[in-house]
Amino acid sequence: MSNFSLSSKSAQDVAIMMPKGYINDMVAEHLEQTSEQLLGKGVKKIVVNFAEVQYINTIGISIFTSIVQKTLDYNGVLCFTNMKKVHRDILEMMGLIKYVKVFKDEEDALSFMNGKG
Amino acid sequence: MNKKMQLKRLLFSMESLVDLGQEVSSSKELKEKMKAALYVMTGILPVPTAALFVYRSHRKYLHLLVDKGYREKSRKDIKLSILSEHIKRFKMNKPHTIRDMVETAFYRLNDGVFAKLQTKMFVPLFAKDEFVGAIALGSKLGGAPYHAGDKDILMVIAHQMAITLHNAQLFLELAKKASENKRLYKSMQRIYHDTIQAFAAAIDAKDDYTKNHSYRVASYAVAIARELGWKKNDVEGIYVAGLLHDIGKIIIDCDIINKGEKLTAPEITEIKRHPQISFDILSKVRFPWKNIDHFVRHHHERLDGKGYPDALGSTELSDGGKILALADAFDAMTTDRPYRGKMALSEAFREVIKCGGTQFDTKITNTFFNILRKELNGEAKELQILRHLQNIDISSFKALDQAAAYNGTTTESIHTNKTYVHM
Repeated sequence: MSNFSLSSKSAQDVAIMMPKGYINDMVAEHLEQTSEQLLGKGVKKIVVNFAEVQYINTIGISIFTSIVQKTLDYNGVLCFTNMKKVHRDILEMMGLIKYVKVFKDEEDALSFMNGKG
Repeated sequence: MNKKMQLKRLLFSMESLVDLGQEVSSSKELKEKMKAALYVMTGILPVPTAALFVYRSHRKYLHLLVDKGYREKSRKDIKLSILSEHIKRFKMNKPHTIRDMVETAFYRLNDGVFAKLQTKMFVPLFAKDEFVGAIALGSKLGGAPYHAGDKDILMVIAHQMAITLHNAQLFLELAKKASENKRLYKSMQRIYHDTIQAFAAAIDAKDDYTKNHSYRVASYAVAIARELGWKKNDVEGIYVAGLLHDIGKIIIDCDIINKGEKLTAPEITEIKRHPQISFDILSKVRFPWKNIDHFVRHHHERLDGKGYPDALGSTELSDGGKILALADAFDAMTTDRPYRGKMALSEAFREVIKCGGTQFDTKITNTFFNILRKELNGEAKELQILRHLQNIDISSFKALDQAAAYNGTTTESIHTNKTYVHM
């Protein structure tokens, strides 16, 4: 059984996704599909809160790669928050961090997003 | 990238190969397995869009199996046309940049698809020198170029994916062959049954009065065997034995079989040969069911040893022979014969009861009545006996009730010297 779940919420025009558990198999593709649906509906500001993420492997990197690219394609803004150092290091090493804004928490990300109009 | 970062990246790539190994050797469906493998590949580089194709040699195209990162509409009905001469030009599992491919006939044939998929790298998949599929990769994240190191990683992963695809294809071929064999077997089985039924019809056709007799005997025998808890294959065996039990009659003179008067002693001797002849014919056939020839041989034997051809006693007779004996006699009682009209059903039931213990085994007669009772009470799934009996009246049931009263008690008290004789 997969150890992954996803919840999401919105704050004004910002969508916040909160993945939980291991992002290491195709169950986590749900994260990619959800972000694509949001972008498709016209949501351009997306926050991913990593607080409950325990593990990310290559499959997880691939999922985030697609999310990053799609956000770029839709001219959206993607913020990552509450990242553990190990996760930030992996995403940085794989070259993803330079395409996203990283914040300490949701509050910081939302004030940045709201400042973007 | 500094050395520490390079080392970390290398370690991550090695970890990824472990992930890949786990995915390709998992028990997941091929599509799920290959999608996970494609994600591992695109996570290492990293690449946002990719598509994995499977080679369909008979149709001369590469069929899209799984993909990632594309919008739903953009990949509808995507396939790559490919000819064997194109495949010969590929280097096994080696990534080809689209820039290097633009002059090839394969690229020209599929340039529209490559453009749609925004392909930057094409990796043909080979396992044991056999072309099994290909991977089309889009740009790396942010449009970064592919490095020589990326190509090395792609080659390693491509090799693993090719083997997985190849194994899956072998498995599919095996499954297809197994399914075809199963279909052929079923078809042969049907032909076999049809042939046996044709034989049964031929046997019955010889006797004007016994139309469908073999079929009814088979049907009664199956009902009893099932009620006794016989295995499916054995039930099938008794069905065939029922259909063929009178096959020996084909060499008995028609005039004797259809004689409307009392048979002479030599005629009786002649007609009594048929179980032995049935045995002689059927013992030469290698049936997939056990003891058919013996069941048939003994369908005129009796528990008291007064039957024929071997005059065997109760302990020497098999249940199969005993079942056929009752089924055959009951059908003879309830149908018209050249030498007498059919009995009323109630009379036939009484006759069966009377002959229990001397002619018929009471285990078999009790089972027969149990089935009848279930069928009469609407407890049976199908009517295996009643459907062959016409004009059932309430008095028949009384005889059946009588039989029920004797069930489980001694049957000796209801035996008379009178026994039912038929040929």
